[in-house]
Amino acid sequence: MAELSPGLEGVVAAETAVSEVDGANGRLIYRGGYLIEDIAPVASFEEIAYLLWHGELPNEKELDALRQQMAAARSLNKSARGTLMAMDPSIDAMDVLRTVVSAQGASKALTKPSLEEAIAMTAIFPTIVGAAHRRRQGKDLVEPRSDLGHAANLLWMMDGQEPDPQKVHWVDSYLVLLADHGLNASTFAARVVASTGSDLASCVVGAIAALKGPAHGGATFAARTMLDKIGSADNAEKWLTEAHGRHERFSGFGHRVYRTYDPRAKILREMAKQAAPELHQTAARTEEVALKILHDAHPERPNATNVDFWASVVLTGAGIPKALFTCLFATSRVAGWTAHVLESLSDLRIIRPASRWVGPEPGRKPLQLAKR
Amino acid sequence: MSGGNNSTYVPGLEGIIGAQTAISLVDGANGRLVYQGYVIADLAEAMSFEEVAFLLWEGRLPNRAELDALSSELASSRELTQAATIALDALPAETDPMDVLRSVVSIQGVEHRLAKPTRPLAIHATGSFPTILATFYRRQLGLPPVKPRSDLGHAANYLYMLNGKESSPEQVRALNTYLVLLADHGMNASTFTARVIASTESDLTSCLVGAIGALKGPAHGGAPSAVMDQLEKIETADRAETWLRDARKRKERFMGFGHRVYRVYDPRAKILKEMCRQMNPKFYDLASKVEEVALQILHEEHPERPQSTNVEFYSAGVLQAIGLPKEFFTPTFAVARVAGWSAHVLEQAAHNRIIRPQSEYIGPEPRKPVPLAERG
Repeated sequence: MAELSPGLEGVVAAETAVSEVDGANGRLIYRGGYLIEDIAPVASFEEIAYLLWHGELPNEKELDALRQQMAAARSLNKSARGTLMAMDPSIDAMDVLRTVVSAQGASKALTKPSLEEAIAMTAIFPTIVGAAHRRRQGKDLVEPRSDLGHAANLLWMMDGQEPDPQKVHWVDSYLVLLADHGLNASTFAARVVASTGSDLASCVVGAIAALKGPAHGGATFAARTMLDKIGSADNAEKWLTEAHGRHERFSGFGHRVYRTYDPRAKILREMAKQAAPELHQTAARTEEVALKILHDAHPERPNATNVDFWASVVLTGAGIPKALFTCLFATSRVAGWTAHVLESLSDLRIIRPASRWVGPEPGRKPLQLAKR
Repeated sequence: MSGGNNSTYVPGLEGIIGAQTAISLVDGANGRLVYQGYVIADLAEAMSFEEVAFLLWEGRLPNRAELDALSSELASSRELTQAATIALDALPAETDPMDVLRSVVSIQGVEHRLAKPTRPLAIHATGSFPTILATFYRRQLGLPPVKPRSDLGHAANYLYMLNGKESSPEQVRALNTYLVLLADHGMNASTFTARVIASTESDLTSCLVGAIGALKGPAHGGAPSAVMDQLEKIETADRAETWLRDARKRKERFMGFGHRVYRVYDPRAKILKEMCRQMNPKFYDLASKVEEVALQILHEEHPERPQSTNVEFYSAGVLQAIGLPKEFFTPTFAVARVAGWSAHVLEQAAHNRIIRPQSEYIGPEPRKPVPLAERG
């Protein structure tokens, strides 16, 4: 039997055409063969979702049809609304998302995941995230608007006012950039669940559950928290040197796959200048110092600013509170999760790895309770 | 293009080691299931579910004082939170009980937020599963929920909360044995899901909710009700041969057969079969004939493959004898397996590395996007 590769690093667990992370060359390729830096400036989130699901970019008619389908699927059903309102408004927004998606997807009979379900699932996320945000603020919920695009409707449902086009652009760009990324842990979780023949809601709930972890989707929040602690560009060197002395990890740095600068981080870094000029200054200085410290400590390792670092700055500029960062990540990645689930259906085989036994020698006899 | 590694794609990760574990060993070649060193046959009828849960979590069997403490902690975890109760009532009565379990476990666990997985949290979750299912079961029947009884063990209390009265000692014993047999089983898909989620440092509730979603799939835990459906169609033992051969011509799968790991008879199926013989003779007469014919047909088609009756085949008869409706077979599997899931999450958290495999890109080579207005 094969050697154990901790974390399945380097083990190929699926064939996919949805996306490719070419770490050696610092390339992210979306379905159809598009490099992220080529596709991001020209496509909206809806176009990217269409691309990930279908393998081709939509024409105008197809895009209109998708927008309409998504706009028509923005309302919570009775189960989901009841569940949402049962939850304490102060709880973690990811717990709200996990629970309400589960309730929204609760059904009478098991159904095979379908494109229609993927569209409806993707469309409902802003409604849940907006509602979680407004309940945290103690405000009444806002009804979705069918005349707005996906990103604009999200901001509308959070703020209840006409969204600023500039902020809509930043949120939309963020959603485009994060929509898929190979077999990351949450996508892999979705594919494992799908491999049992389970339904789409179960796959997506499992993926949300995995994304919640600080080592995965929680990293954007952690990056922003670190920037808050650093406070200003002037303080970056002192703070980071001290943190390094305490053996603290720098949030927003390090990635298993990329060996060069993450292409998404590069786009977000540029966008951050305009989206959040002040925070950009702190972040740019932080990055400079952090990379220097990391390089001095490990000259053999590549520059490792990850997408979470610059995403935290752009989302801040777009007016997203950091408590919602992981939810925004999920709002984007659900397009990729569902695309992977649909792709996996064509050759479904249960994902059931082996394990290595490190327990006591089999066959010992149990003592009776009274003798223990 | 996959990151410059040389590994090849193995569908389903078959034979690839996904983790190392000391919790359970599925020794397929010898037909042994081992919990922490103990062979399942030595535990099944001798231990309570509570003792086995302790064993999976702690790596050893409890003494009397430890068992009493665990039993009382489990008993005090049987109440649903107010939020969970409201959410449960918001779900329509015809909802699949697995969807109810997934949703209500998700809300029941939120108080703990991003707490690191711990044994008290594992106990808390394990204690709540029977309450969620029994409450929903009674709602489907239009009956008010029954308060849990802290003087009853895990299996007895589950049956009490379902039926509003105590079950016979024989039924309690049978459910207990079922729960012990199904409590863990190596790196199955739902357990692996829980470990993938745990590997991101997510919380225990998230791990369990993901595992429930995986268990729901018909290729995993969703099959015991399908066994019952198939047996209902066959109706009588004398029709087995004709029905099964016709089904084969229609390329229908035989439900309750096939397993990736065992090369000899599943040790759990053996125990459950004997229980069926004693408790559910009507089921046994039909099922054992169906098994005999199905194995014969499967052998004719693939003589090289091992006998493959799986645990779900006779589970169906045992759960029916206990009085469970078939819609509650898979959820009751979850009542057992939550002990194993949470044990694996604790083990994963103690030796963690994020589970992030590679994929093999099979899409087109990089090309430039066409602007929207120019797309055909």
